[in-house]
Amino acid sequence: MPTRPIKTWWFFAAFLSGMLLAMLAEAMLSEDLILQHRNRRLEFSAPRTDFFAGQPMVRLRNAAEVPFIIKTTLFSGKKDHVFISAVDRFIVSFDIWEKTEKAYSVVKVEAPRKTAAHLTAKDAQAWCLSQMSLDTTGLSGSEPLWARLEVRAEDPPRDGGLLGDSVTSSGISLTSLIDFMSRPGSQPQKTLEYPAFTLDQLKPTRGS
Amino acid sequence: MKWAFLCTLAAGLPLLGGAADEALAEPAPTNVNARYIIESVNVLGSESKALSKSLRAELRQVVGANLDSTRLEKLASRIKNELRVARVKVHVTKGTAPDHVLVNFEVAKKPVDLKVAKFLYDSKQGWSGEASATTRVAGNAFTLGLASDDDAMLERYTGIRARFERDSLGTDRLGMSFEFEDFHEMWNQATVSQDPSGIYRSRQTFEPEARVVLIQPLELDFGFRFARFQPSTLGATTESSNAVVSTLRYHQRWGSGEDVQDQELEGSFSVDAAMRLLQTDADYTRQTAEAHYKFRRDRSRVEVSFMAGRTLGQAPLFDRFVLGNASMLRGWSKFDLDPLGGSNVVYGSADYSYRYYQVFYDTGAVWDRPQDRDQKQSVGAGFKKEGFQLAVAFPLGGPRAMPVFYAGMNF
Repeated sequence: MPTRPIKTWWFFAAFLSGMLLAMLAEAMLSEDLILQHRNRRLEFSAPRTDFFAGQPMVRLRNAAEVPFIIKTTLFSGKKDHVFISAVDRFIVSFDIWEKTEKAYSVVKVEAPRKTAAHLTAKDAQAWCLSQMSLDTTGLSGSEPLWARLEVRAEDPPRDGGLLGDSVTSSGISLTSLIDFMSRPGSQPQKTLEYPAFTLDQLKPTRGS
Repeated sequence: MKWAFLCTLAAGLPLLGGAADEALAEPAPTNVNARYIIESVNVLGSESKALSKSLRAELRQVVGANLDSTRLEKLASRIKNELRVARVKVHVTKGTAPDHVLVNFEVAKKPVDLKVAKFLYDSKQGWSGEASATTRVAGNAFTLGLASDDDAMLERYTGIRARFERDSLGTDRLGMSFEFEDFHEMWNQATVSQDPSGIYRSRQTFEPEARVVLIQPLELDFGFRFARFQPSTLGATTESSNAVVSTLRYHQRWGSGEDVQDQELEGSFSVDAAMRLLQTDADYTRQTAEAHYKFRRDRSRVEVSFMAGRTLGQAPLFDRFVLGNASMLRGWSKFDLDPLGGSNVVYGSADYSYRYYQVFYDTGAVWDRPQDRDQKQSVGAGFKKEGFQLAVAFPLGGPRAMPVFYAGMNF
């Protein structure tokens, strides 16, 4: 049968290209979160993820300050065993009078309080993540590890009251009530995970 | 000389050290724009005069101050609460002078607003409710509502209410409205037995009105009310009650809900004159004076209300004064007081509430002839939160102190 070898060939080609695509996708996804290990600290970066995008950027461009909560976690041995984690709050603002792209300023709120100014959006995000490194003292180079980065913009202040502003002296506004009930609980959270790795696998960028 | 220099240095060192500590104690602002000065503040999409004096004063205070986005968000929230609008957005742009910014509060009204204006359960009268939908197009508001109310008047009226309103006619000092109502009536047996010829099956009302702002906060509403009603008596023809209506209104507010204390005073005097000139069947004049004063400090609130009215001539039942419902002389039944309503009324009320708890005292009289005037009193207590209310009221001095329960909102 002359058609069978062709079909088999196409089947293998499709399978292999699917595998390649899957590997490529996984590689791309894992590259969203980049880890480096130096001076016994695990450093996080995510150059392809823009956590200012969307509603936070609208608020920033409107001269408002936007607080971000950033959490980094390192799991060891098992994926649900937290070895160490860190949480910090960063207040970002955008200078509306600045003519260049270096209009962003960041204040790290938790002690030690730090400030960085005249940054581009990318640099401001990178600076925030650079403050979130984790101490790896006590981990062996071959221990299986997992890492997670979570970033969330804090919600702007909301109306008080049980039903928000839907109840007034002129009646209960069903439109406001629907709007109130439909509001998301909080700003969307960006979570990036790094697949299983060991410290030995990370590029040897240990400092001197 | 050397000693003098060392002494001066020693004396100065603690000062230098203190200054440095103070600088460290006060952290720099977290918003890079905090160094910019606010050049002007505008409220767009609404009349700023609708805001309370204290809020307007605070908006003025912001001009010339450094930008504080948290403060601006709080002000936006206050504007939203006072104007009762869907959203107030803060918009900050570069100013005309370097290092200055312009602040605009953009008021967004809901394109369509569905509202339950009233909802009430009265243990004596049963259910009452009113709902409406309002849409706004180019400064015009169109409202269509449904109502079934056995509380406000002598009759239970059920039907539709449509309203067109424009706040500004070339100037903010002039507005207009048209309101149309079409109701079918149901009557309590006490009213039917006392005046079977006075009751009607249906009623349509058309009310064109203009509103003029005389001097803030004094307004004058004037217009006409054309009412047609179909008497229940077999073979009776449709009757008309067409009147010139006018109301002088005063509304002033000091402070707002955000302040430690706030006060609000509303007063009105209205005259409705049904005249032969307007092809009316019954010739009468109705005058009503009302006043409401509210005072709040922290969680305590006091409300005092007063109403007095008199009618010269014979008004139809829908235009007669009623006491003994969920808002006036609570605890009494309007049918026990006067099943036909009265042509004269005097009423006063005092409410005190702390947090959700409320106590009240009502007193008043409704009468036709001076010898029929009989002052009644009632007391009550309940819970009130965000328009929702649950209350029980007791008539005082009546033959039976049967309490009346009220539950619902905005009654």
